[in-house]
Amino acid sequence: MTDQIKEQISALLDGELPQNELNLLVRRLERDPALRLAFGRYALVGEVLRAPGGALASAGFAERVSVAVAAGESAATSAAAYAPSTRRRRATPLVGAAVAAGALFAAVLLLVPEQAEQLQPARIAEPPAPAAVAADIEASGAASPTPARSQRMAAYLVAHGEYSTPIARRNVWTGVLANDPGITRVSYEFSEAR
Amino acid sequence: MPNFPPPDGSTESHDGRGDDPRPGSGLEKTDLELVKRAQRGERSAFDLLVLRYQHRVIKLVARLLRDPAEAEDVAQEAFVKAYRALGSFRGDSAFYTWLYRIAVNTARNAMASRQRRPLDYEADLGEHEQASVQSRLRHVDTPEAVALSDEIQQTVERAIQELPEDLRTAILLREVEGLSYEEIATAMDCPVGTVRSRIFRAREAIDRNLKPLLD
Repeated sequence: MTDQIKEQISALLDGELPQNELNLLVRRLERDPALRLAFGRYALVGEVLRAPGGALASAGFAERVSVAVAAGESAATSAAAYAPSTRRRRATPLVGAAVAAGALFAAVLLLVPEQAEQLQPARIAEPPAPAAVAADIEASGAASPTPARSQRMAAYLVAHGEYSTPIARRNVWTGVLANDPGITRVSYEFSEAR
Repeated sequence: MPNFPPPDGSTESHDGRGDDPRPGSGLEKTDLELVKRAQRGERSAFDLLVLRYQHRVIKLVARLLRDPAEAEDVAQEAFVKAYRALGSFRGDSAFYTWLYRIAVNTARNAMASRQRRPLDYEADLGEHEQASVQSRLRHVDTPEAVALSDEIQQTVERAIQELPEDLRTAILLREVEGLSYEEIATAMDCPVGTVRSRIFRAREAIDRNLKPLLD
């Protein structure tokens, strides 16, 4: 810390530092805590001379304020990150629904029909169908149209359906059912039987 | 409601000009420059404003609250509020005038909050016990601060008396009378550069005495 820099600090405190010296000095003050301390002590001298007596800031007060300001700033930043703007808020349900529907649709596509012994008839595949229809289903080899994974998916949809829009839910359900050959066949044949 | 001191921070001991920013003064311009930097996100610029005004704000708040122990907390809150509201500062008034209002309002809120406290344990104490608690609180909170404050005061006064005449005059004209460098140069019949140098040397001489107390 040279005398020249300290003289600049003194002039800064008095509001007499030329603009061209100000930029560099402020950057120096930012980097060098010793310079800031000198600035603080010079300010203290002035305060004591102008208004003797009374309370003075304790050592470290300015630092505490700086920490509090920084803490408030980071809290505000975090809050901003968790508080979406109006535009983002508006978009959130659609985006969420789209993401949920997309994920579910991808999961549905990955479903592989499981072996017959693992298959169990789902309630949805138990229409009060005529005996002829039931026999036809057995003959087709797709006696149990809803595999276990589809059941899990159905359970997932029931449990998490609240996060998607009705249209998205319907689309996903359609996907699940469309991938179930038994259900398709039952529906078609049932309607034909009628 | 207590009488609020004027925003210029003046006391009975002088005319109150001090280094208080006058419209268009260099100090006000420097403050404004620091504010602009802080508004652009340079927090270190705000740190400098805190360093400059911390004692004055604490003195103001302590006088309003009549509780030195609480003054630093309230002053800190005032500075934090000022930082958060910095975006709304347009420079219509001096920065300290603006900060002063925030500090006064923060102190008022603190006083109101103190009055609203549902459980005032002092009310349940007898007069003797109350005096004892007050006394202990004061001793816990302020003895070192008061002693240090007194010592700082004496050290600065002694250092001022020991300064050469030209340095003493320059620093007193600046700090106590609030004259600009140009005005001091006219009064002392010397170049502005010399004034700047004399004031710096005066501060350095005082600081040499002060530093051991604060380290």
